[in-house]
Amino acid sequence: MSYPVDRRGFLRTSGAAAAAAALGLGGALTSCSSDTSGPVTLTWWDYFTLDNFQPGMRRLIRDIEAGVPDVKIERRSFPFAELERQITLGAISGDLPDIAIVDNVAMNTLGGSKLLADLTDRAEEWGQADRYYKGPWDGCQVGGKTLGIPNNSNCLALYCNTAMLKSAGVEPPTTWDELASTAQRLTSGDRYGLALSAIKTEEGVFQFLPFLWQAGGDLDTFATYGATALSFLDDLIAKGSLSEQCVGWTQQDVNTRFLNQRAAMQINGPWQIPTLKKADFDWNVVALPRDKAAATCLGGENWVLMANSKHQDKAWEVLEYTQRPSVLVPYLVAFGELPARKDLADQGSWASDPALRLFLSQLPLARPRQYGAHYAEASQAVAEAEQAVLTGTASPSAAAKTAAAKIDKALGEQ
Amino acid sequence: MKQSLSPGARRRRAGYLFCLPGLAFLALFLAYPLLYNVWTSVHDVDLGQLLGGDERFNGAENYRAVLDDPAFWHSVRLSLVFTLGSLLFQFLIGFALALLFARPFPFNGLLRSLLLVAWLLPPVVSGTLFRWLLDAESGAYNALFEAVGLGTLSHDWLTDPSTSMAGVIFANIWVGVPFNMLLLLVGLHTIDPQLHEAAAIDGASAWQRFRHITLPLMRPVAVTVLLLGLVYTFKVFDIVFVMTGGGPVDATRVLSLYVYEVFFTFFRFGQGAAAGLLLLVVPLLAGVFYVRRLRREEEAPAGGAV
Repeated sequence: MSYPVDRRGFLRTSGAAAAAAALGLGGALTSCSSDTSGPVTLTWWDYFTLDNFQPGMRRLIRDIEAGVPDVKIERRSFPFAELERQITLGAISGDLPDIAIVDNVAMNTLGGSKLLADLTDRAEEWGQADRYYKGPWDGCQVGGKTLGIPNNSNCLALYCNTAMLKSAGVEPPTTWDELASTAQRLTSGDRYGLALSAIKTEEGVFQFLPFLWQAGGDLDTFATYGATALSFLDDLIAKGSLSEQCVGWTQQDVNTRFLNQRAAMQINGPWQIPTLKKADFDWNVVALPRDKAAATCLGGENWVLMANSKHQDKAWEVLEYTQRPSVLVPYLVAFGELPARKDLADQGSWASDPALRLFLSQLPLARPRQYGAHYAEASQAVAEAEQAVLTGTASPSAAAKTAAAKIDKALGEQ
Repeated sequence: MKQSLSPGARRRRAGYLFCLPGLAFLALFLAYPLLYNVWTSVHDVDLGQLLGGDERFNGAENYRAVLDDPAFWHSVRLSLVFTLGSLLFQFLIGFALALLFARPFPFNGLLRSLLLVAWLLPPVVSGTLFRWLLDAESGAYNALFEAVGLGTLSHDWLTDPSTSMAGVIFANIWVGVPFNMLLLLVGLHTIDPQLHEAAAIDGASAWQRFRHITLPLMRPVAVTVLLLGLVYTFKVFDIVFVMTGGGPVDATRVLSLYVYEVFFTFFRFGQGAAAGLLLLVVPLLAGVFYVRRLRREEEAPAGGAV
């Protein structure tokens, strides 16, 4: 009963066993048709597991198999939180895909490893870098190399419950001061003026970083500007405009509060639009309020190729193919996502939908989280500082100072 | 060739053969991962080096880094609080329920089986359940408090750093009580009823019989239950991970969550392996102690514990 089973060792062993089994099977299959001129099978990993993504994904893969000669795609999808872990486990067992679609923030960890194929020369030859928004494209450059191609982009903005703002006689806020006063005006009973996510994961940090940037700082000046941003949020909680429970909310939870009309405004991304369209009240989206600067955080996914893939040429061909407007636009529309390319701004559903348009207009302001291999530790320090302040266990300046020390240690270690 | 194997030797050989699957299993799923973990813990391994294969031997460096990390010691303290808090209440409540179920009453069997559900549920399910029960806005406990006019007692159990640990322990007590109850009940059934009858005839009160017969005779079972509980509880992961993810801030980041973070969030495999091995110390000591007791009991089977 007391077997000290070690989780990672177990994963490693079972992963290795699974890989061995897969290799054995693969070997058996290839030995049946060792003809080298046959189609190349590319393995492909992503985290689009939700049902509503499947038709778009199936169509994209059908398009690729029809449009790129001699290629077959073998797709596997993992839950969002699992993909990056699966890739790192794959690094040990050797079971890695040829192509993957990863969260843009994963470029920090993966970029520091030798897992990703260097696409610099191919991208240069391709010559379409300038068609992309700066943030998404920059997010794919690690240490002077191009390690990925943006797939789609998103960012955060402020959703407002139109009727609530109207009946309170307020306009959507454009500055921090207005945000604070508007949120307070909109707070009544069990309704909060503002909802946002401060959960202790990257999701919470994704929502916090815009405040840090708007204050005029960044991770390297966290002691000062982190304190400014933290005390702004602390004030919102002290005035009751923001629920202390946001430390446990995911962005999905935040959206639920907004949908139930228990929050008059929320900070959230464009992926909530399909759900919100079913709401029986009117809402609108505006840019995040600014302080010293206007800023929002870049989200979305990047295409990456694995360095140990034997089919990099074919995989690049696939990747290039997906970026053709005729393929990319229907795929993004099916996913309800925004393009990372400027040249597609006037096509697709985002050209006409006002909410999507607003998000698209914010992409030039969206900053990638590009901090290097040890970003995860810095990110955790930020999340813990925010939680400490919002739960009242530390003052903004003390929390910012503690976090700054951890951030400097993590980011100084490159 | 016949004389080369005596019947005894042949039996021994058959014995080894029968052991083989078990040994292979242990080697593959226990020894190999554990040894690999030990190897990792004395090398400088992160994501890049895993692929490149140029891990550098760095002696006790990883252990030093872990032991120097205040977060590690914080999680050691949390793990101790979690374990002691869980065990104490699991055992006391489990014992009380075992005493209750030891005597016949209507629906005894049905109620006992229903109680077991708590232990049979996957921790992810019970964790999710308690996360909802303890939720500040839509949670059942707060609704209950409000319904009976104790609204002032309602609280953000899991999002307040000062109560989140208590909330997680509370859930874990619920999960662990049936296990304690069941083993203790089995223990109670092994006590010869004649002892109680004889004592009753001699005029011992119920309390005296409990104090001088039940308690001493239950000691070996109790120690076993507590040791097993210690091993189970100290390496807890899923229920805490599901309920709080270690938060708010780091209020419930027990040791296993710390190790998980170093591994799978920071990808510092060397340090994670070192911390993982340090996590093993307490359960391992408990395991050694348990096996030694078991052996002693086998050597002195009847009534040796009185």
